[in-house]
Amino acid sequence: MQAEAAIIITELSKSYHESGLRHDIFKELNLSVNRGEFIVLLGRSGSGKSTFLNLISGIDCPDKGKIIINNTNITGLSEHDRTLFRRHHIGFVFQSYNLIPTLTVAENLLLPLELIRRITQKERDNVTELLAKLNLADRLDSYPDRLSGGEQQRVAIARALIHDPDVILADEPTGNLDLDTGQQVLELLDILVRKAGKTMIMVTHSQEVIGKADRVFSIKNKSLVIS
Amino acid sequence: MSTILNKSSLNFLLQHPWQLALAIVGIALGVAVVISIDLAMESSLTAFDQAGKAFSGTATHRIIASEGGLDEKLYTQLRVGQGIKKLSPVVSGYVQLAKQTNNSFKLIGIDPFIEKSFKPVWQQEQSKNQRAALLARLVVEPNTVLISDKTARSLHLKINDEFTIVSDSGKQDLKIIGFLQANNAISEQVLAKLIITDIATAQEVLGLFGRLSSIEVLMDNYEPETLTKILKLLPGSALFVSVDSQSQSMREMTRAFSINLKALGLLSLLVGMFLIYNTMTFLVMQRRRLIGCLRSIGITRRQIFKLIIGEAFLLAIIGTLIGIALGIALGQSLLYMVSETINAIYFRVDATSLIIRPAQIGKGVFLGIAATLVAVLPPAWEATRFPPATVLIRSGLESSTRQLVSGAKLTGFILIAGGLALALSSAQSVSWGLAGIFIIVFGFALLTPAFTLGLVQMTDKLFGRFLGIAGRLPVRTISSEISRTGIAVAALMIAVSATIGMELMIGSLRQTVTEWVQASLAADLYVTLPGEKIIGGRAIEEHQLKKRLADLPDVQMLSSALHTKLIANDEFTKVSVFELNPQSRKGFIFKDKVNDDLWDRFEQQQTVMVTEPYAYYHAIRIGQEILLQTDKGKQPFEVIAVYADYSGDQGHLSMSRQNYQRYWPDLGYSGIGVYARKHTDLKQLENQLYKLLTGQQSVKSDKDIYKASMEVFEQTFTVTETLRWLSAAVAFVGVLSTLMALQFERTRQLGILRAIGLTRRQLTFLVIGETGLMGLIAGLFAIPVGYVVAYVLIFVVYERSFGWTMAFHFDPMVVYQGLALAFIAAVLAGIFPALKMARIKPAEALRIE
Ligand SMILES: Nc1ncnc2c1ncn2[C@@H]1O[C@H](COP(=O)(O)OP(=O)(O)OP(=O)(O)O)[C@@H](O)[C@H]1O
Ligand SMILES: [Mg+2]
Repeated sequence: MQAEAAIIITELSKSYHESGLRHDIFKELNLSVNRGEFIVLLGRSGSGKSTFLNLISGIDCPDKGKIIINNTNITGLSEHDRTLFRRHHIGFVFQSYNLIPTLTVAENLLLPLELIRRITQKERDNVTELLAKLNLADRLDSYPDRLSGGEQQRVAIARALIHDPDVILADEPTGNLDLDTGQQVLELLDILVRKAGKTMIMVTHSQEVIGKADRVFSIKNKSLVIS
Repeated sequence: MSTILNKSSLNFLLQHPWQLALAIVGIALGVAVVISIDLAMESSLTAFDQAGKAFSGTATHRIIASEGGLDEKLYTQLRVGQGIKKLSPVVSGYVQLAKQTNNSFKLIGIDPFIEKSFKPVWQQEQSKNQRAALLARLVVEPNTVLISDKTARSLHLKINDEFTIVSDSGKQDLKIIGFLQANNAISEQVLAKLIITDIATAQEVLGLFGRLSSIEVLMDNYEPETLTKILKLLPGSALFVSVDSQSQSMREMTRAFSINLKALGLLSLLVGMFLIYNTMTFLVMQRRRLIGCLRSIGITRRQIFKLIIGEAFLLAIIGTLIGIALGIALGQSLLYMVSETINAIYFRVDATSLIIRPAQIGKGVFLGIAATLVAVLPPAWEATRFPPATVLIRSGLESSTRQLVSGAKLTGFILIAGGLALALSSAQSVSWGLAGIFIIVFGFALLTPAFTLGLVQMTDKLFGRFLGIAGRLPVRTISSEISRTGIAVAALMIAVSATIGMELMIGSLRQTVTEWVQASLAADLYVTLPGEKIIGGRAIEEHQLKKRLADLPDVQMLSSALHTKLIANDEFTKVSVFELNPQSRKGFIFKDKVNDDLWDRFEQQQTVMVTEPYAYYHAIRIGQEILLQTDKGKQPFEVIAVYADYSGDQGHLSMSRQNYQRYWPDLGYSGIGVYARKHTDLKQLENQLYKLLTGQQSVKSDKDIYKASMEVFEQTFTVTETLRWLSAAVAFVGVLSTLMALQFERTRQLGILRAIGLTRRQLTFLVIGETGLMGLIAGLFAIPVGYVVAYVLIFVVYERSFGWTMAFHFDPMVVYQGLALAFIAAVLAGIFPALKMARIKPAEALRIE
């Protein structure tokens, strides 16, 4: 069991201070996610879903507690090391506005790779291939703002996967899309992530996705409860 | 207007403290530079006027003379012979403290018993009896003086104390018997530089026996009789002028200098305007959604416009107020430099502290507020164009900016052509020439976005492959945000091109002046004979000295010069009277081809040569005649040559000593050039000469003179130098503020990059790379622009300001320095926003939309 766990979260606490007042989001939250598991996270607006994902990806820091991903305690890492860890092991899909507007579609995809190593021709071909799979083969050199919302989000998913991370975090990836497009995007995620055996935590309210999840949690009373 | 609306606007401004602060700094610096120049310039000239008023009081006219002054008998003739009562004789000159030779004073000898209606400063004493008694003592007791109590205090002197001064004729002890009081028209600081005494003491101290420097005249509106009487007795070497016109002509003299300085001040303001424009555009763009919302709930375009203008007005007022305070502080340090320069190239001014006048402050306030409002008009107008409620996508905005860029390009070309035409066709006007430069530079500034766009796109195409994707980001950002980056590059470009232009111009002038000074220094050693040139004793001594010099065995030959003034066209004109020898003749650089008989005609016929500035100012050509006033009426002198001279911008004449002595009295010499025989030890000769000299006379080698001349040259550009740095500083603030704004707008994007895995350091490099690239572009573009500026400065403005022609001397160093300046400034400006952005937590950055 221990070896199978991709993410182990123990006694995680997080609070914000605003105008002198402490505002707790989580208190001593525990969770263990297995490798290849698909977790859906529910919760009302403001309950702390985005905060939770930010903590796991290491772009935010908890007040207390441990987050261990692939046997690395990221809460014990320095800011710099956390960034490097994220670069290699985590893919992030945001709700919206998540492509770099000044880079073309292909460049947006190559950027995470370039951060890790020199890009090879094979990887370039991979990108072309991946985009073809996404029905975006002809938009290789377009800038994101010329793409529709669904197209943009498909590119964003591709970007989250391009460097072959172990953990995918998706924060309402269909929040800004209409039902049909959202459906397509979710299917895509399902194919690319699940079939590749990757661990994924997704915030969503889509019933269909919830149906496909291994486990569904929601944040209530500063803690996770199975729903 | 709704107070809630105003409050939302104020809150918004307060949420962007950095933008706000930088905009205010931009306005403040621009205003400060303009005000400080104006204050320093005006204070220098006012100090000069006031020093005059201190002894002339309410005098309306003045009889002034050339070197050597007026015969004091003239005063008796006018007062006793002609019965003109309202006259006041004056003897004046400069003296230094024996203990502090760098502390000089104007010593003024007056007649205490003149008409009271003159109201000069020494008559301003509280008690009448006390005053009368003091003034009587001034005459009765020899070497008694009045000084200001401020000066007395700073020198630790009390009434009845004595102090020693040095003049051209030696040392003298003076005794303080009373203090001078400032009145309304004359400030304390002017008095602090004066010593008042009676005529006899002044004559003795200054060695002006039997002479007067001027006679002040008080005439009511119209007194033709008095006028005729005075004019009838006026000697050939004297002029009767109105006090106002004299002070006016002093101002005229410094006009070109003053215009050039003010242009530099306006340059800072122009750069400041870019800054304000940029900030306000940022503040408007940030709110495009908010403004859309406001419009959708029924706020009118006019209200939006008023809101933005109102914000700008608030910023303008705060910035201007700070600018005034800063300007006064800056003006104080500029004052010293400005008055030193005026001393070096025009006339003597003693300005020690800034005189703050409402007029100058008002001008600064007006310029600050007007510039801000003009700069804010485009963004304010743009704000009214935001359609209600709809969310604008950036690309939509940017495609309209692209139209704007090409529109600006076209306008830029038109402005450049117009500016060039204006500069070239501006005839004698310096202001129009400078206005031409401004328009040209502004035109180039409008080309900057197009140039920047072209260059970054080319960089992307050519080098994108090598830069990698992360490396391409800064290049792309510059082009996608061209509406903002273009402006920052333009502001930096203006400052750097001005630097390159002026540096090239000064370099060319320096080269020209160096060659000229070296050519004119034909002698081995120079004996300088300072002091007022007067008929009689001193002149005779100087002749004897010259004879003794000629008799020295090592001396092969001599040349001599006397610098004095003669009257042409009812104006004093500087004249150099020369005794030349074959070698010194080679020192003249003629502007046209000259005939072989030039020197014969110079010596034997009634001829003069004129300097280039003189020819330029008076529109004189070879072959024309200049009428010079002599005791025997006006005499014509034919102009036979125009020669180069960079010693001043008013120009002068030169004539042979033979010609001079035919009409004017012998005043001795100002300097004697000594030509040694071959193989003479010059050091030894210098020592021999030194032993023959007395008092303030000195001997200098050609190298010393060269060095001193070049020091004066550099001195004249210290003000320019300082002002240039100031406008660069404003540009720097501009770039800083733009970059802050840009990075701020991209916070979310930077957050995504961090989420993907960019480290802090990489982010820092990204931001600095972007700003460094902008700096390089600004520097590159500034080179051709600076070249054009230099060209116009050299061949249009300087020729017109000072009548100097010079050769274009291109120094590649200047270009490298300009490039480096732009790059370093931009990188420095990038550091702060880069660090700030790297410090933002990615989680926070992602919350921002
Ligand atoms: N930097 C911050 N300072 C103060 N409070 C914060 C900060 N970031 C988040 N919060 C608060 O923490 C709580 C959780 O925010 P979070 O964004 O995680 O909610 P969420 O569940 O993702 O909501 P939504 O479904 O609307 O996206 C909210 O109440 C929010 O106001
Ligand atoms: Mg959220």
